Amino acid sequence: MVVRRVLDGDTELYRVLVERYRRLFGRYAVGMLGDRDAAADAMQEAFIRAYDSLASLRNPDGFGHWFFRILTNQCHNAVARRRPTSDVAAVDLPAPDRADRLVEQAELGAALEAALKELTPEQREAFVMKHVDGRSYEDMAQLLGVGVDALKMRVHRARDALRASLRGRT
Amino acid sequence: MKSIGGLLTLVLLCLAPHALTAQEGVRAQLEARGLPAELVGDVVALAADAAAQGVPTEPIANKAIEGWAKRVPPQRITAAVRQFYTRMVQAQIAVRASGVADPPGELLASAAEAMGRGFTQEHVGAVVEAAPEPAAAGHGLSVATALQAQGLGPDRAVEIVTGAMHRGQPVAEILDMPSLARAMQARGLSPGQVGEQLMLGGGGMQGAHGRPPGSQPREGQRGERGPRRP
Amino acid sequence: MSEGNRLSQNAHRYLDGEPHGELPEAERVQTDRLLEAVRAYGESLPALDETLDDAVLAAVRHRRPARRRTGWRWLMEPREVRMRPIWAPLAAAAAVVLLWVGTRGPLGPEAPALTPTVAADTVFVRFELMAPNARDVWLAGSFNDWRAEQLPLAAGAGGVWSTTLALPLGEHQYQFVVDGERWIPDPTAHAQVDDGFGGTNSVIVVGPKGVVRS
Repeated sequence: MVVRRVLDGDTELYRVLVERYRRLFGRYAVGMLGDRDAAADAMQEAFIRAYDSLASLRNPDGFGHWFFRILTNQCHNAVARRRPTSDVAAVDLPAPDRADRLVEQAELGAALEAALKELTPEQREAFVMKHVDGRSYEDMAQLLGVGVDALKMRVHRARDALRASLRGRT
Repeated sequence: MKSIGGLLTLVLLCLAPHALTAQEGVRAQLEARGLPAELVGDVVALAADAAAQGVPTEPIANKAIEGWAKRVPPQRITAAVRQFYTRMVQAQIAVRASGVADPPGELLASAAEAMGRGFTQEHVGAVVEAAPEPAAAGHGLSVATALQAQGLGPDRAVEIVTGAMHRGQPVAEILDMPSLARAMQARGLSPGQVGEQLMLGGGGMQGAHGRPPGSQPREGQRGERGPRRP
Repeated sequence: MSEGNRLSQNAHRYLDGEPHGELPEAERVQTDRLLEAVRAYGESLPALDETLDDAVLAAVRHRRPARRRTGWRWLMEPREVRMRPIWAPLAAAAAVVLLWVGTRGPLGPEAPALTPTVAADTVFVRFELMAPNARDVWLAGSFNDWRAEQLPLAAGAGGVWSTTLALPLGEHQYQFVVDGERWIPDPTAHAQVDDGFGGTNSVIVVGPKGVVRS
């Protein structure tokens, strides 16, 4: 409905789609890139490309799935661009013997973020969708166009890798 | 190269509305797969060239996507796509010489592949002329290439395919030939013997071709199943 | 990869929210710690706000308006998969017999189907790879736009990985992708062809009777 109207010329109405899918997928972008600004850039780029190609969307009701594909590609690109710098060694966590719970939580979160950077983009994506977004495998399969078995494999491998990383840090 | 590509695009914009649509399609397709902007630009420029020459752009876009999926460095992808495009143009010359004005992408890709493996323009022309329509020619060339890969010479492979087409065998049956050839080789036949059987039209499996048994009686043929009867 | 580096199947099921068996104490501690780290991480994630919306709208106002094309086609044409009689097995044991597997339904109206739907005639084709040391194996090719981690093979006895796809008639090029990074051709295919990038694509020609390889 909204898509049709935007295609008919009502550009301002695109905001409805932008807000809706920012809320739905924003967390995914931030989780993938670990950085608010990078995520905002990726999402903005994705929305602009979606707008440019809107006429090629075959089924107007499928905007969400279609847009998500564009977004995942932007996020994967952004991750790939960052590859050369390896900041793994830069993470230097203090020993976990502080009494302060909040600080410990923050450190744990930071440790996970560092560990996430070491995953392949597909693994990180699946892990973020499963555990940060809390999606079901069926949902993920719909959004990514990948089978449930394949997704489980990616998540399991991500967990194994993260567990190994965290053991070294916490 | 990019500025030349840009200039070309500009010229095409003025001369050929068709070209713009094909380019847009390629751009959208590549961006949807996350190819980086510079690579997209290079490939779109090639696609513009292709569209202006009447060469279908879809195979070109797919080649770029293939390279990206395989994590090939962008410069290498550009070079490979450019080479692929050149081969498509050469194939187009061969196919057009046989009277097909507007060859579909799959036909050109199959012809390009065949010519890359030692099939000549004449070979390609023979299959194109024998085929009931261009799509069938593409399939025929794929089959000829696959037969050649299994040890038959290009002349023989083309002979088999064009022979089947002249006999009126449906293209679907011709598509079974590479598998038939493999099956025969597994039974111990040499490539030469495989070629003979395929020339006869079926490798001795008359009934399995889908024609009702007995509709085309032949003397001295093997039965559908089981041993020969005296 | 040593056992100590991997979570057990039970732990994965536990984390997937599926029925699972008993978890040893040490492993339960580790999985809980992982979950805790995830929760902490999730909570620390900043949210994107409406400044993004403003930025996007500001950008698109300046762009060529998205224009509807008339006569856009439906995403999926009706797909017909015809069942064929099983190929009569040939004398030699090396011939591969076609297997029939139930077709998987579409994932959804917008998601691309795992199997292509272009032609009305599609045939089931089996793909196999012997890879006893692989952790996972995928199939990528012209039939799925070379997506590297979309079509998984299932591990079977003797280190043989396999899967079955419905493919349209004609030529298809593909490779196996092992452990997400090694692209290797299929030695049993009808032909091998230079992919133009320094590698080799495997080629099969699918006829109505399916595919027989070596």
